[in-house]
Amino acid sequence: MTSSQRWLTWLGNILYHGVALAIAALFVIPLLWLVAGSLRMPGLPPPVTVEWLPQPIAWSNYSTIFQIVPLAGYIRSSLWVGCLGVTITLVSASWAGFAIAQLPAGARQRLVLLAVSLMMAPSTAMWLTRFVIFKELGLIDTYAALVAPAVMGTSASFVLLFYWTYRRVPIELFESARLDGAGALLIWWRLGLPLAQATVVAVGILTFIHYWSDFIDPLLYLKSEKRYTLAIGLRMLQQLDLTNWSLLMAGATVMTVPAVIGYFAVQRFAWMEGRLAGLVR
Amino acid sequence: MLTPFLLGTVVLVILPMVLNLVLAFTEYDALAAPVWRGFETFGVVLRRDLFWIALRNSLLYVVLAVPMRLLGALVLALFFNRPRRGNRWYRTAIYLPTVIPAIAYAFIWLWIYNPLYGPLNQLLGWLGLPQPLWLVDARLALLSIVLMSCFQIGEGFIMLLAGLQDVPHEQYDAAAVDGASRRQMFGQITLPLLMPWLMLLTIRDIIASAQSTFAPAYLMTGGRPYYATLFMPLLIFEEAFDRFRFGHAAAMMVIMLSVVGVLLYLLYRLRGGWGYSDDI
Repeated sequence: MTSSQRWLTWLGNILYHGVALAIAALFVIPLLWLVAGSLRMPGLPPPVTVEWLPQPIAWSNYSTIFQIVPLAGYIRSSLWVGCLGVTITLVSASWAGFAIAQLPAGARQRLVLLAVSLMMAPSTAMWLTRFVIFKELGLIDTYAALVAPAVMGTSASFVLLFYWTYRRVPIELFESARLDGAGALLIWWRLGLPLAQATVVAVGILTFIHYWSDFIDPLLYLKSEKRYTLAIGLRMLQQLDLTNWSLLMAGATVMTVPAVIGYFAVQRFAWMEGRLAGLVR
Repeated sequence: MLTPFLLGTVVLVILPMVLNLVLAFTEYDALAAPVWRGFETFGVVLRRDLFWIALRNSLLYVVLAVPMRLLGALVLALFFNRPRRGNRWYRTAIYLPTVIPAIAYAFIWLWIYNPLYGPLNQLLGWLGLPQPLWLVDARLALLSIVLMSCFQIGEGFIMLLAGLQDVPHEQYDAAAVDGASRRQMFGQITLPLLMPWLMLLTIRDIIASAQSTFAPAYLMTGGRPYYATLFMPLLIFEEAFDRFRFGHAAAMMVIMLSVVGVLLYLLYRLRGGWGYSDDI
């Protein structure tokens, strides 16, 4: 390679990374503005120029929001709903995935197709009548209404993640355990779960993010304030004082940080879930 | 071991959908027993001006947001497809807005769009550009909601990246030997092979848009100004949970989903098929 060629490659690289960085920045800026907004002293007049870091930095916003609304209680509710949802989801999704993987081809394909169409179904279509069903079952204003979807694995994509994990396991492994007289539940517990450790962790975290972020279900099914989750709590914060931006941004930051951390922890799985609907071959 | 999954599917998805269809023909306030009204509910709904405004806004949103989101995801996927150092980080950054919870995302953009305090107008002012009123301006409010949705395209981006990785290298090598230009390669190799993915994304996005306008409309604008951001999901929500007219809301839901179905059918006819086989 001559020196001028090398120079051109170098220039190309600089250009590429310049554009790439600009695009990446575009997608990160909303988050930066969120954090910057949350650190602004409440009651300041509008900034005269672009403010990347407010002066002075008001960390106190984060303690204020805990005082003006029962934020700790909301967070506790969210954590509780999240843990409940994760536990039930891990059992039902891994059961379903485990079972589907061992069915004969025809039934297997039909169930996978069912799961895929479930992922496509618009959740709006269930708003009204789930409410009616929960009301008949006496589940309105209980956490049971919020974690009910966990019974079906929360999202069909979680069932599919487990299904794919188990499909990679040679079926003889489970067959031989069955021949040794072990029941399905025992095989799942002794062989299935340990084999799917990575999937268990990933689905667990993704499920937690799902329930943590969910705002429509608590909006529809929770009535009493003491049960409110953080998502609805933020709505309270907004209604309390629409003009106090810094406090609302601080609340939104509290809501966003766990989701972002969870995403970084299981990034590759999150991507896999993102493209699961692409069952195209 | 399939029982919980199948039971949940029946009780939480299939039963609600069937019930919704039945409910659409009744008058029901969630207290007294529903009263059968037949097609009258649909007549009442269709005579309401607000219904048509919401339907128009929702369609406008689909027509604007779906192509923009798709194009954005495609351009980004093509740009970040080839293996380069640092691409992993760029991809992570692009996916980031997608993981922000809906309610936090709505509040972030409420802040960004604020005409007085918001950072967006500060930035535009600093650049010497005009500073629109965004959500307050009846002509811009819907566009603003479309614009913010264009940052949550991580799923489509990742799907298309995966699709691009499936394109066999030999085809490009062969085309290069034949002296094909880059644009020819894109038009004749990349795009046709990517078509199934693009179709799938379009279908997904059209279906998702039946609900994705709810959070911004409910949390940011309340349908204002002058009903410029009143979308179907918000109208249905208010009809059912504020005014306790579940029957009418259910009828609206049926109409909205039928419109989504018609859109998908048009897409199907346009493409002459779904563009991919159903084998899994």
